[in-house]
Amino acid sequence: MALYAGIDVGSRTTKVVIVEGEKVLSSEILLTGSDPRGASWRCFQRALEVAGAKFGDVKRVISTGYGRKRVPFAHREFTEITCHARGASFCFPGVRMVIDMGGQDAKVIALEDRGGVLDFVMNDKCAAGTGRFLEVMAQAMDLDLEEMATEALRAREAVPISSMCTVFAESEVISLIAEGIPREKIVWGLHLAIARRISSMVKRVPQGEPIAFTGGVAKNRGMIRALQEVLGKKLLIPPDPQTVGALGAALLAQEIDW
Amino acid sequence: MRVVGLTTTVPIEVIYASGATPLDLNNLFITSPDPEKLVHEAERIGFPRNTCSWIKGIWGVVKERGIEEVVAVTQGDCSNTHALIEVLESQGVRVFPFAYPYDRSRELLKAQIETMMAYFGVGWNEVQRTKEYLDSIRRLAHEVDRLCWEEGVVSGYEDHLFLVSTSDMKGDPEAFKLELEEFIKKAETRKPFKEEIRLGYVGVPPIFSDLYQKVEERGARIVYNEIQRQFSMPFDTDDLIEQYLLYTYPYSFFYRLEDIKREIEKRQIDGLIHYVQSFCYRQIQDMLLRKEVRLPILTLEGDRPGALDVRTELRLEAFLETLRLRR
Repeated sequence: MALYAGIDVGSRTTKVVIVEGEKVLSSEILLTGSDPRGASWRCFQRALEVAGAKFGDVKRVISTGYGRKRVPFAHREFTEITCHARGASFCFPGVRMVIDMGGQDAKVIALEDRGGVLDFVMNDKCAAGTGRFLEVMAQAMDLDLEEMATEALRAREAVPISSMCTVFAESEVISLIAEGIPREKIVWGLHLAIARRISSMVKRVPQGEPIAFTGGVAKNRGMIRALQEVLGKKLLIPPDPQTVGALGAALLAQEIDW
Repeated sequence: MRVVGLTTTVPIEVIYASGATPLDLNNLFITSPDPEKLVHEAERIGFPRNTCSWIKGIWGVVKERGIEEVVAVTQGDCSNTHALIEVLESQGVRVFPFAYPYDRSRELLKAQIETMMAYFGVGWNEVQRTKEYLDSIRRLAHEVDRLCWEEGVVSGYEDHLFLVSTSDMKGDPEAFKLELEEFIKKAETRKPFKEEIRLGYVGVPPIFSDLYQKVEERGARIVYNEIQRQFSMPFDTDDLIEQYLLYTYPYSFFYRLEDIKREIEKRQIDGLIHYVQSFCYRQIQDMLLRKEVRLPILTLEGDRPGALDVRTELRLEAFLETLRLRR
């Protein structure tokens, strides 16, 4: 059999997807930690195991993500932009925009009707609007990410959050808690603040619909709600949003002319 | 020798006509052995962390080189310059302020240039003669630029370096002229580059030290350096006032845009890099550029001097990958 693998070494987690034709055989996630090379190998081994395959069955491997250059067994690398675009248009043929929110990145990609990348913007010099930002805020409020999402979903009102610097926002959150503001109001305020930031990125690329929402943050239903409210649009969420980049890489491994 | 620092391009004809030597402080700062140290030094005395590194670097290089006199552009460039010259004045530096009228009024610009001439003690005859001489050097820089975009035998970085140096002619026009002549002779014998992607570079010169190299390593080439080319006074005219009215940098963004659109067409450009400096008002103009230019645009933000950071490199790589896969 001819299998193809995509490895997305992200700043927080490493993802591996193995495909055969249009069939996804396995899809694994591991924490990257401080050893992207080791994490990519371990995650790849696990994905092989789940797929019931051997290393030799995999014809080509493409790596992506911030650690893409640290995967010694990859045949080629592509940036996250290209891979997320490919993965999203596989999940949703005809998709025209992808909002991807990962551990330390937030990006908006505009797609052509054939699924190629038309243009993209990516956060720069600032972690606001990324998964890490939400993690830090959750920590400040003694919540796990699942609880954050639940709070955001049940909130009726938001307290405005003015700082978008991760460090200053954390101290703002701590003082709001001290003032006795209900937690869900703070959580919802944070989600809306991030969504507004993403919406200004959305305005900077050629407009198109439907819009897919990918990356680890897309697993947070609170963030889906916030983005849909701020953009005034319905978002398409893939079944496993965190592995869309790795999926795109695996598909490219299969499709690209070598 | 009377050395006069410049905060940006001004009519250097006036300064050279007076026998003084203009030196572009931006060029001195960025080519100094340790530009980061100059920025750091400025922050140490109290320049805020969140202001433009060029402003801080200019202050640093004035101090390091012991420059005693500066021509500062107070209109047509950023307002940080106002506070910069106030700090310099408080430290004993003599400052002549020069203002480009935002509405491109000929009368106002003429009055400014004549005030500058009175300050340097020169008349129109000497200034005009100097212009003719400097124009002969600018024509050589224009030839380098043509060899870059049309013949493909000059790299984007070389084009950038020669064009950016026309703002002060490196303080020694004759030596600069010889350097240009020799370079052109050498370049004409080269084999043309075979770039896959032709890029335009829009915005102020980069604070990054290796942007051009990183672009070329990935099979692309910058064939249009917008502002750097403006420093070389690309519009052919015998009239000095007209020359500084046609010069786009200090005026409205929409006036700059006419030049940008024309050159994109002429130079067959596939995508643009829009460079913006952290904390610069020109960052706002990014939305206008995106609205007006129908090409893929990568906006790169630079803060401190040095090599490209990993994130900026990733964005550059993704941009070039996108352009390549679109073909």
